[in-house]
Amino acid sequence: MSLRMNRVATAAPTALIVLVLTLFVSLPLYSMVVTAIKTDREIYDDFTYLPKRPTLVQFERVIVGERFMINLRNSLIVATTSTVVAVLMSVLAAFAVVRLRFTGRIWIARIILFKYLLPTSLIYIPLFLVVNSLGLTNTLQSLIFTYLSFSIPFATWLMMGYFRGIPPELEEQAMIDGCSRLGAMVRVLLPVAAPGLVAASIFTFTGAWNEFLLALVFINRPDLQTVPVKLAGMIVGDQYVWGMIMAGAIVASIPVIALYFLAQRFVVAGLAAGAVKG
Amino acid sequence: MATGPSQVTVPAGSRPLPAAPRGTLHQREVGLGWLLLAPVLIVMLVLVVWPFMTAVWIAFTNKSIGREAEWIGLANFAQVVSSPRFGRALTNSLIFTVVAIALKFVLGMAMAMALNQAFFGRNFLRAYLLIPWVLPGFVAYMIWRWFLDPLQGVANYALTDLGLISFPLEFLSSPATALPSVIAAHVWRSFPFFGVAFLAGLQNIPSEQYEAAAVDGANGWQKFLYITLPGLRHVILVVLMLSTIWTFNAFEPIYLLTGGGPADATMVYTVLAYEMGIVNMRLGEASAVPVLILPVLGMFIVAVSGLMSRDD
Repeated sequence: MSLRMNRVATAAPTALIVLVLTLFVSLPLYSMVVTAIKTDREIYDDFTYLPKRPTLVQFERVIVGERFMINLRNSLIVATTSTVVAVLMSVLAAFAVVRLRFTGRIWIARIILFKYLLPTSLIYIPLFLVVNSLGLTNTLQSLIFTYLSFSIPFATWLMMGYFRGIPPELEEQAMIDGCSRLGAMVRVLLPVAAPGLVAASIFTFTGAWNEFLLALVFINRPDLQTVPVKLAGMIVGDQYVWGMIMAGAIVASIPVIALYFLAQRFVVAGLAAGAVKG
Repeated sequence: MATGPSQVTVPAGSRPLPAAPRGTLHQREVGLGWLLLAPVLIVMLVLVVWPFMTAVWIAFTNKSIGREAEWIGLANFAQVVSSPRFGRALTNSLIFTVVAIALKFVLGMAMAMALNQAFFGRNFLRAYLLIPWVLPGFVAYMIWRWFLDPLQGVANYALTDLGLISFPLEFLSSPATALPSVIAAHVWRSFPFFGVAFLAGLQNIPSEQYEAAAVDGANGWQKFLYITLPGLRHVILVVLMLSTIWTFNAFEPIYLLTGGGPADATMVYTVLAYEMGIVNMRLGEASAVPVLILPVLGMFIVAVSGLMSRDD
C-alpha cells in the first residue's frame, strides 16, 4: 500500500473542509469587526469591504454616548457575585456527594444533573412569578440569585467529575495525620482539584455574563440592565446604530474570549470531565 | 478507613437517613453530608421546586400582573392547546431542532475529521473555529442580524458582487427565508461544540484499528462507517441528546433575529410564552406552556442523565 497515495486521498477532502468551515466562520466575524471600525458614512452610504480610514469612533459612541460602562459594571457585579456564591456552595455539595457515604447521595447527584439539563427557557416564567412575588424585579439581586439556578447544578456536576477522578487515599492519609474531614478537603483535595475550580469558575462566570433571557425579563431600567439586554435594546428601527452595536458586541466578547483562551487547558479538561465523558 | 467512601455503592430506593449501621463515625458522615448539601438543596428548592409549584397553580388561574388570581380550571390549557399559534410554534420548534441538529452533526463531524489530520496551522484552526461557540450567544445572533441586513449587510453585498443575486434578499423578513436564516445562524453558533466533542472522541479511538482495517483493504468510507462511527457512538448519542434539549428550548436566536416573525414564520414555543406572559402579561396562559412541556422534556432529560451518569 502506498502511504503517499493515502496522504493525497485524505489531504484533498481535508483542505476542502477546512476551507469551507473557515469561510463560514469568518464571514460573520469579519462583518462584525469591519463594521465596528467604520464611520457611519462608510457603513450606510458608501459601502466598501475594508474601511478606508479605520476609526474607533463607534467604540467611543457606545462607551461614552450609550453609557456602556454602567452596563459592563452591572454585568461584572452579577457574574462575579453569582460565580463566587455558586462555586463555594457547589464545592461543598460535590464533596458531600462524592466523598461522604450516606443514603440518598446518588439521588442527589441525579437531581443535580437533571436540573443542569433543564433549560432556563422552561423555568423563566415560573422564576418570574417568584421574583415578582418577592418584589425583586428591577434589582441586580434578582439576577445574582436566579443565576444560581443554572450555575450551581453545572458547577456541582463539574466538580463531582473532578473529585471522582482524584484518589481518596491522599485525604485518608491526611486524616490519619490528624486532619478533620473538612480539613483534608481544604488542604489536600482542593489544591489538587484547582484546575477543576478554575474551569467551574470560568464556565459559571461566562454563563452569567452571557445570560440573556432572565436579564431581559427581570430588568427594564436602563441603568440596571446587563450588557446583553442593553445591546439588544439598541436595535431600534432604522437608526444608524449598527456601528456602535458591533463595537459594543466586541467589548462584550473580549472578557469571555480572553478567559476562554487564557485558561483553555483547564476548560478542555473541564469539558473532558463533563459533557463529553465516555 | 481502609476503603475509600466513594467506592461504596448505595442501593437505589433505600430510605434516606437510615439508622447508622457502622457506629458514630458513619453517623457523623451522614450529618456532615446533609449539612454540606443543605445550601444547594435550599437554593434548588427556592429556585426550582417553588417556582414550578407556583407555575402549576397559576396555570389554573387567570392571574395577570397586578391582579389577583382566580381559579379557572383547565381553561388556560384548553386555550393554549387549541390555539393555532401554539401549534405553529411547536411545529417550528421541531423543524428548527431537527434541521439544525442534522446540520450541526454534519459540520461538526467534518470539522472533527479534518482537525484530526496533521497539517500546518491545525492548532490555530482548532482555536479559531471555536470562536462562534466561545462568543456570547447574544453577540453571535446580533452579528448575524447585521450580517443578513437587507440593505447594508455583508451577505447581500457579497452575493450581489458575486453575481448570485440581482437584488438584495430580505433574509429575515421574508417568510420563505426567515426560518432557514435563523437555522443558519444557530448552526454557525453551535456546530463547533459538536466539532470539539467529536474530536475528543476521535482521539480515543486506537489507531491500531485503522491500521488493521487498512491492511484488510478497507477504504476511507468503510473505515468511517465501521470504526469511526461505532467508536464515537457514546459521544454522538450524548451530544445529540444534549443538543436536542438546548435547541428545542432555544430562545435567543429567534428572539434576537426575528422576534418570531414575519407573521409567526419563525415563532417557537419559548418566544410565544414570552409574548403571552411577559409582553401581554397573561401569566396564567404563559404558565400553562412550561407545565405542558415539562413532562415530555423531563422524561427526555431523565434518559439523557442516565447516559451521562453511567459512571456513578
